[in-house]
Amino acid sequence: MEENEDVPKDFIKLKSEKLSVDEVSELVVSPYCGAVSLFIGTTRNNFEGKKVIHLEYEAYTSMAETEIKKICRDVRQKWPSVKHIAVHHRLGVVPITEASVIIAVSSPHRAESLEAVTYCINTLKASVPIWKKEIYEDEYSWKENKECFWANSEK
Amino acid sequence: QVSVLYFARSAELAGLRCETLSVPRQITSLQLWEEIVKVHPRLAVIRDQVVFAVQQEYVLLGDQLLVLQPGDEVAIIPPISGG
Repeated sequence: MEENEDVPKDFIKLKSEKLSVDEVSELVVSPYCGAVSLFIGTTRNNFEGKKVIHLEYEAYTSMAETEIKKICRDVRQKWPSVKHIAVHHRLGVVPITEASVIIAVSSPHRAESLEAVTYCINTLKASVPIWKKEIYEDEYSWKENKECFWANSEK
Repeated sequence: QVSVLYFARSAELAGLRCETLSVPRQITSLQLWEEIVKVHPRLAVIRDQVVFAVQQEYVLLGDQLLVLQPGDEVAIIPPISGG
């Protein structure tokens, strides 16, 4: 068995199948790390009194992966002790309560991975070209993250 | 000739996801938008809410001069909502 020094890795995946919390956390687990921090974004069943039937996501896939890689690089600059980072985002139809995004980060001690996960989801919402459509009973709506600097705020 | 990619609301308004367009090699981002709106007038309604991604770098609609190569990818990016 060869010596794998547990080189820090980024695991980025955009996929239409159901996301797995077990799978994503196992990707970042490391014998050198005492902490794995996780964020799971799930779909809510209501928006402004309207019933949400399900969500649909689409992405500019190649650029989304590149932007997520940039986020990982920024995380490693800000928190050099971070070991592994995994970002899985679902595309296509996502039923209510299922996960649309799972982010996991490992680090030797808990402060860095907790902060890094927060940074990842906040920055993803501001910069990664992925779009969410909320499907209601009679209509639908393309959502706009408030973090997105080119969205109109008066909506 | 550049590849133009449409996403989310812009794909619904344009009625397609991808096409090739002939544009001048040097053009400002605003002029590029105007060329695209000539082909798809329904896009005009989202002008204040979109940015471009030119070769996967975000570009605001404005005076920024783009130097385009044949085959470059230009994407219309409505407000994002990932996560």
